[in-house]
Amino acid sequence: MSELTTAARPYARAVFEMANEAGGLAKWSELLAFMGAVASNEEVQTLLANPKMAKQVGADAFIKLCDKKLDDKAENLVKMLAENDRLSLLPEMSVIYETLKDEAEGSVEALVTAAKKLTQAEEKSIAAALKKRLGRDVKLKVSVDESLLGGAIIRAGDLVMDGSLKGRLNKMTNVMSH
Amino acid sequence: MQLNPTEISDLIKKRIEGFDTDAEARTEGTIVSIMDGIVRIHGLSDVMSGEMIEFSNGSYGLALNLERDSVGAVVLGDYKGMSEGDTAKCTGRILDVPVGPELMGRVVNSLGAPIDGKGPVDTKEMNPIERQAPGVIERKSVDEPMETGIKALDSMVPVGRGQRELIIGDRQTGKTAIAIDAIINQKGKGVKCIYVAIGQKASSVAGIVRKLEEYGAMDYTIVVAANASDPASMQYLAPYAGCAMGEYFRDNGEDALIIYDDLTKQAWAYRQVSLLLRRPPGREAYPGDVFFLHSRLLERSSRVNAEYVERYTKGRVKGKTGSLTAYPIIETQEGDVSAFVPTNVISITDGQIFLDTDLFNSGNRPAIDAGLSVSRVGGAAQTKVIKKLGGGIRLDLAQYRELAAFSQFASDLDEGTRKQLERGERVTALMTQKQYTPLKTGELAFTLFAANEGFIDDVEVANVGNFESAMLAYVRSEKSDFLDSLNESGDFSDEIAAEMKSTLEDFKSKGAW
Repeated sequence: MSELTTAARPYARAVFEMANEAGGLAKWSELLAFMGAVASNEEVQTLLANPKMAKQVGADAFIKLCDKKLDDKAENLVKMLAENDRLSLLPEMSVIYETLKDEAEGSVEALVTAAKKLTQAEEKSIAAALKKRLGRDVKLKVSVDESLLGGAIIRAGDLVMDGSLKGRLNKMTNVMSH
Repeated sequence: MQLNPTEISDLIKKRIEGFDTDAEARTEGTIVSIMDGIVRIHGLSDVMSGEMIEFSNGSYGLALNLERDSVGAVVLGDYKGMSEGDTAKCTGRILDVPVGPELMGRVVNSLGAPIDGKGPVDTKEMNPIERQAPGVIERKSVDEPMETGIKALDSMVPVGRGQRELIIGDRQTGKTAIAIDAIINQKGKGVKCIYVAIGQKASSVAGIVRKLEEYGAMDYTIVVAANASDPASMQYLAPYAGCAMGEYFRDNGEDALIIYDDLTKQAWAYRQVSLLLRRPPGREAYPGDVFFLHSRLLERSSRVNAEYVERYTKGRVKGKTGSLTAYPIIETQEGDVSAFVPTNVISITDGQIFLDTDLFNSGNRPAIDAGLSVSRVGGAAQTKVIKKLGGGIRLDLAQYRELAAFSQFASDLDEGTRKQLERGERVTALMTQKQYTPLKTGELAFTLFAANEGFIDDVEVANVGNFESAMLAYVRSEKSDFLDSLNESGDFSDEIAAEMKSTLEDFKSKGAW
């Protein structure tokens, strides 16, 4: 996992810088997400992992699979990745690209897992509080997990704020048992 | 149903009241791999080097390798039940251990948790296990003796409070015995002791604790044990944890003695951790920083001046110096002192006590090699009487060794040589000492005086031991006041010499040994 990130980072950074200069951040974001989805398909992975296939053939097959959604630059990226045997990195690249893009745009994505469905007002107040804490615009992604019993867990990057009843109960168990 | 000591209603109530119910915000990562006690974690972008990491099964880890996309950490304790994909949280705490006088009489592990089944330890302070040693300005020169009560050591290789003296020798040469005697001898002297057992059999540690209890030494001793069955990470950390506990006494203007038994095993444990963390191996497969591993530990043993103590205690303790004396132990293989770790530790310490297998087997116990054992500053810290009387012993023994080797080939020897040989034999016999029988300053002074003034020259070699014990018994019963004052002051003058001489003459004239 960490090795994949290390290998994917230079590619993602290169794509990001190119897109930033050309002003196509949003377009590349879509492209990478799409290519990442294609690359993480199980059949595609089996195909790409086949040692008998020549690198160029793999690249062509990948481009064909993408069904003309790729422009010249994207095709070049695929060819280069195929040459270095790094097509499997596309999902990772997409993730890193998004963080770079968020950083550049001064926003951050926060995953909120709540015990029950949040109202609009609640979402707004969480977003406002997070903005104050992180100093950035926050894009909220909300999901519901009833096993939390109450409260919510907020994740922004590596930072985790655990305000769930389940987390507190766990913590209490630890305090009592030590 | 068995209840734990922590399950008393009041305690539970207090804990619930003190329980912090705020939402916690912590940096989290995911375990990528776990093998041989080494965990790789993805994420944890804010982790500090040496920070404690909390795993989801409740055990802790220590972040050692901070890389670009992953963190290498060692698990402190049990890593069964942890699996790939588990979360790992930062705690924001650099690894620390409880310190304070409350720990005395207890056996704890490398994290300071009691393992002697005597319930929780109520310490008030925590100190980080890795600390910078006191600087040049904060130190004071060594001028007080750290007496071990062992004749050969106190007379020939004296150690001052705040020094580091290495005990080195093969297996089964009595290294631990010397250390334990040194602890027992601190009774009533106000010196706090810490015994750090690294990679030893649990049965040996239990035996040592029992001996210390038997001689009433556990009252002022802390035992830090990382046994052979504990993870390598715990064995690697044990000396630092013990040192942090010793530093507490030093910083509060008290004197402490710490024994690391032994640093060879700690280096092995560190080598294991380093190799598993994929740090490049060097000589004997030790990592590149194995010298620093020991130098930063031993450098923390020091004597600090009163200003340092006053500043550290915020004016609570005034006008008192503090010290931490270390006896690190190194086990050699087949007497090979030129191996990597022994040479390192020899060069770091202020001297070494070299124990020899041949001497041990020929009955000279403690098996101290007088020629190879040195103390670099110790002389400045000897009591006056021992310094005056002990000087001749070392010379006698050194000359005797040389002559004994040489005279094996000679058929007849001149009068002077023969006398020196006879004297050497007797002094060697006089220097043997049973385990757990440390001598006080005054008793040691009488023994040395008897050797110097020729009182033992006409005693048969086989009878030297009996002569000595009879002499000490005589002095204890007939001259107890004089002996007490000598123990107390450690002074030496012509009057004292005359008194000692007349006492010994009286004793010899009785001929009762």
